[in-house]
Amino acid sequence: MVLAGAPPSDMDRERTLLRRARAGDPAAFRTLFERHAPAVWRFLRDLLRDEAAADEATQETFVRAHGRLGALRDEDRLGAWLLGIARHVYLESRRSRGVHVDVDDEAHASRVEAVLPTPTPEDLLLDRELEGLLSEALGMLREDRRAALLLRIDHGLPYEEIASVMGWSLQKVKNEIHRARLQLREQLAAHVGGRP
Amino acid sequence: MSACRETDLDALLAGELSPEDAARVDAHVDTCPACRHAMTWLRLERGWMAQRARRTPARPALDFAALEARLSRPAARPWVPLRGAWTNWGRMLMAATAAVAFVGLSLTQTQGGVTSLVDEPFGRDARSSLMGEACEDPSREAVAALEASLGACLVASPLISSR
Repeated sequence: MVLAGAPPSDMDRERTLLRRARAGDPAAFRTLFERHAPAVWRFLRDLLRDEAAADEATQETFVRAHGRLGALRDEDRLGAWLLGIARHVYLESRRSRGVHVDVDDEAHASRVEAVLPTPTPEDLLLDRELEGLLSEALGMLREDRRAALLLRIDHGLPYEEIASVMGWSLQKVKNEIHRARLQLREQLAAHVGGRP
Repeated sequence: MSACRETDLDALLAGELSPEDAARVDAHVDTCPACRHAMTWLRLERGWMAQRARRTPARPALDFAALEARLSRPAARPWVPLRGAWTNWGRMLMAATAAVAFVGLSLTQTQGGVTSLVDEPFGRDARSSLMGEACEDPSREAVAALEASLGACLVASPLISSR
C-alpha cells in the first residue's frame, strides 16, 4: 500500500532542484538562482557598499557556483555555500581594487552594553531614514565582523556554518558577532526608544 | 544554559534550541532584566533585517537572462586552450621561417656551387686523384689490369694500395 506522504518540504524541493541542476537541467539551476540571488546580492551589496559592484559580483558568484555544483557535498548547505563563494568573490574584488577600509572599532566594543536604551514596539518599523542609518552603521563595522554579523542576522546561518564560511573557530564567531551587535546598537541607540 | 549568554537568546529566537533548552532559556529571560533587554534588541534587529530583505531592489544581476548570457560566453573565452593554440602557431611560424631560410641558403650555394665544390675536401677532383693513386700501384699490376678491365678501383684504401 502506498501512503500519500506529506508535501515535500522546502529543503526537499531544494535538494531535488540541486540534483537536477547538477545533472545539467538549466531550468533547475534557474530556480535555484532565483531563490538565492537576492540574498547573495544583498550580502555582496552590504560588503562592497556599491550596488553596481554587487551586480557584477553576484553574477560572478553564480558563474562559479554553476561550474562547481558537483563540489557541494552537503546538499542542505547550498545557501551557506553560495554565500561562501560570494565572500571569496568579494575578497578578490577588494584586492583587485586595492580597497581596504577597516574601521578601527575595538575601542567601542566594551563600553556600549550598559548604556543602550530598550527599544519599543514602534522601533520595529524600519523607515527609510532608519534603513539608511542601519546601512551606515553596518558599513562602519570591520569587514570580517560585518560579514559574520550579516551571515547571522540577515541570512540566518547557524554559528557553525558561519565558522565554516569565515574560516574561524566557533568561539571567535560568537565573540565577533557579539561585538558587532554592540557596535551596531551603539550607532543606532539615538534613534531607538526615545532615549538619549 | 549559564546565565545571560546572548548567543543562547539568539538561538532561542532562531528556533535552534532543543525544546528543553528553549524552555530553560525562556524561564531565565522571564527573571532576568538584562536578558529581556537583550532579547528586545535581538527582536528589533531581526525585524529590521527582515524588512530590509523584503526591500531588496530589482537589479539587472538578479535577472537570470543576464547570467545565462554570461554562462554561454565561456566556451569562446577560456584562456588556456587559446594560449596553447597561439603557442603552436608561433612554433609553426618559427619552423616555416627556418625552412625558408634553409632553402634560400641552399639555392645561393648551388648557384655558385660549380666552383665551390673544388674547395671541398672530398670534391670531385680530390676523389678522382685519390682513386688514381690507389689504382696506379705498380706492384699490383694484376689488380690494375683487372681494374682496368672492369673500369673500377678494387682497392678502397690509398694506404694499402701504396705499399
